[in-house]
Amino acid sequence: MPLIALEGVRYRYPEADGPALDGITTAVEPGQVILLRGPSGSGKSTLLRCLNGLVPHSTGGDFAGRVTVCGLDTRVHLPRELGARIGFVFQHPDAQFVLEDVEAELAFGLENLGLDRGVMRKRIEETIDQVGINALRHRRIATLSGGERQRVAIAAALAMHPAALVLDEPTSQLDPQAAEDVLQVVLRLVADLGMTTVIAEHRVERIAPFVDRIWTIDAGRLQDQAPREAVAEGGARPPVVDLALRAGWSPIPLGLRDARVRAQSLAAAIPDNPPADGAGTVIARLDRLGYSYPSARAVEDVSLTLRRGQVTALMGRNGSGKTTLLRLIGGTLRPQRGRLHSEGRVAYVPQDADALLFAATVRDELRGQPEDVIAPFQAWLPRYPRDLSAGERQQLAIAVVAGQADLLLLDEPTRGLDPVVKKALTSFLRLRAASGAAMLIATHDVEWAARTANRVLLMADGEVYADGPPRTVLSDSLVFATQINKLLGRGWLLPEEVPI
Amino acid sequence: MIRHPLAWCVWGIAGLCAAFIDRNPLLQVLLVLVVINVGLPHRRNPAMRHWKIGLALAVVPILFSAALSRFGRHVIFTLPGIPIVGGAWSWEAVAYGASTGVALLLTVAVFATLQANVRSADLVALLPRSLYRTGTVFALSLAFAPKTIASFQALLEARRLRGQRAGWRSAPGLVVPLLLTMLEQALQYGESLDARGYGSGRRSHYRPLGWSLFDGFVIWASLTSLILDLVLSPQPYNPYLDLAPSLPSAASLLSILLLATPALRGTPRMDHATNRA
Repeated sequence: MPLIALEGVRYRYPEADGPALDGITTAVEPGQVILLRGPSGSGKSTLLRCLNGLVPHSTGGDFAGRVTVCGLDTRVHLPRELGARIGFVFQHPDAQFVLEDVEAELAFGLENLGLDRGVMRKRIEETIDQVGINALRHRRIATLSGGERQRVAIAAALAMHPAALVLDEPTSQLDPQAAEDVLQVVLRLVADLGMTTVIAEHRVERIAPFVDRIWTIDAGRLQDQAPREAVAEGGARPPVVDLALRAGWSPIPLGLRDARVRAQSLAAAIPDNPPADGAGTVIARLDRLGYSYPSARAVEDVSLTLRRGQVTALMGRNGSGKTTLLRLIGGTLRPQRGRLHSEGRVAYVPQDADALLFAATVRDELRGQPEDVIAPFQAWLPRYPRDLSAGERQQLAIAVVAGQADLLLLDEPTRGLDPVVKKALTSFLRLRAASGAAMLIATHDVEWAARTANRVLLMADGEVYADGPPRTVLSDSLVFATQINKLLGRGWLLPEEVPI
Repeated sequence: MIRHPLAWCVWGIAGLCAAFIDRNPLLQVLLVLVVINVGLPHRRNPAMRHWKIGLALAVVPILFSAALSRFGRHVIFTLPGIPIVGGAWSWEAVAYGASTGVALLLTVAVFATLQANVRSADLVALLPRSLYRTGTVFALSLAFAPKTIASFQALLEARRLRGQRAGWRSAPGLVVPLLLTMLEQALQYGESLDARGYGSGRRSHYRPLGWSLFDGFVIWASLTSLILDLVLSPQPYNPYLDLAPSLPSAASLLSILLLATPALRGTPRMDHATNRA
């Protein structure tokens, strides 16, 4: 008997024109791991929210069909009754936390179940060990990093001993190492506990080798496929799959381990170094720039020159000073030390793009922008900006703020974006660079940075410690290397550039 | 040290009543000193940083009252017949606005002290299951003050980034987006509470709340202060009747001084969670 069953599920949000979910029938057997993928706004979060009854109980709208979880019909049973059976980890952990400190947060769900103190204590200790957060148990949540918060959110859901864990893009806010840590926790739960898991995730390269099925959702319609069949068809897939398809490998490897033997025949050549970059005129010059917050230094002695035509990726772990550096260049923070000189119009798009959108329609937001900036948004013009998906809002915010800038400063622009939209963003940025603009982009997305940037900066502890072309900086790094580089080394970064 | 959140809640209610029932300036000054004394041991708590908002709130009623009220015999100056602000500006209007402003400042100070001392977990734990919706509102209100300020600052910055006016004068244009942001956050928070089984049955307590003798003393003192305010309070201060405040009664003075009891053992809250940023 399946643990989760969806039968003919149709759902339309209140006042929406079309359905968000359109006739979905599928099932999850106990112990299965499901990867849910799909374009931005395709209905991933809506589908996940159906599994614990938040749709339709919390959202309203027209719901048809049936979702059963552990034999309970979600139309009859409220989300708070399903909470003990489905552990739900939201995309933004901050939206999930109810209390101020880690241990109280872990206990919150157990208290709601009315468990005895002894049982609660035992479960909390076990969960802390399973997720590896013993060092965090006495910390205040406000003091945790993004990765730590997400691990606490998973632990809080897990402590309730749910039959299944549902995770909505748990790594979308995290740097590669923190994302790796979180996914390792999920994979350990799968391996050790046989935890039934449904995970929506854009960074599929880590999780793909371990999933039993892949659900691909597009415009509310779901395809339930075996992993190899799904990745062969397209959508978000590991770079190693792209390489395998080009090389004609069969069966298609889903991870590095499967691909290594086949890859030995490939890596003979060493890629040519691209021509030296930086011919454009200087648009910004930073001279020993420094900034400290009351509790810590954020940027220290950073000297840089940004030139027109350059797309520069700024990478580093969470808290390394990337956002502060962007804010200093963007003028929202005043440097405490050093000098900064910039020319032309500088535009900064912060991580939380929602704050930038406050008009009633997309049309109003784009009023006054040139035609070429408005053109990609024709289909959304009458819509309310905050009804767009996270990825769509991000694109709109970039267009609104940075459409005509000479120096674009983007903070995590690919967060929540699907591969197609990321590709479009790459094209947009390259076009802007070709027309003489310069870009400095803080990102954790190694694959996208390798594809988009012609210069990469690595930051740690407020300092820039590496600066150069992607092939130099992103090669042979333990953390900031692409999957193809981890497979082949020798400076290869992307599947399409490897000679077959 | 006060251990039980109920003691802080009763103190907070008594403090708010004292701030609003009799706005005699002499009593208000005394009450400000009392609240500062109670809050002083917690001055390093992030919640105590809200005093600037309290000050800003305190100035608004003074300006409004002085600019809009045309009553009072003690005239400061007279403006020509300009619409709304024209006419005689009086000390009575300023005094009335100031007493309202100090009451608002005290409200922020009392809530900041509560926020520094009462965990939302404990407040939620205090409420019976039948009041679970009230509990949600309580938890939301405690969690939302800092989030609202952060959202407001983010919106101000966003306006600046879009090259729009971003000073305080732009505040009216931010009301709708701020409300929408807060509503979205409230919905997410409510969903999280639901998804984690809040209100599904009898709640148990992982760390039961303990009582100390001092908690009882604070509750007794706060309740006595409340009763004195409600039952024995003399005619409240009204600057339009008499600009000079009357000398407060002994009962009024006692009711304010009783609110200083938490300061007698003013140790910051000790949690099992310490801040190790």
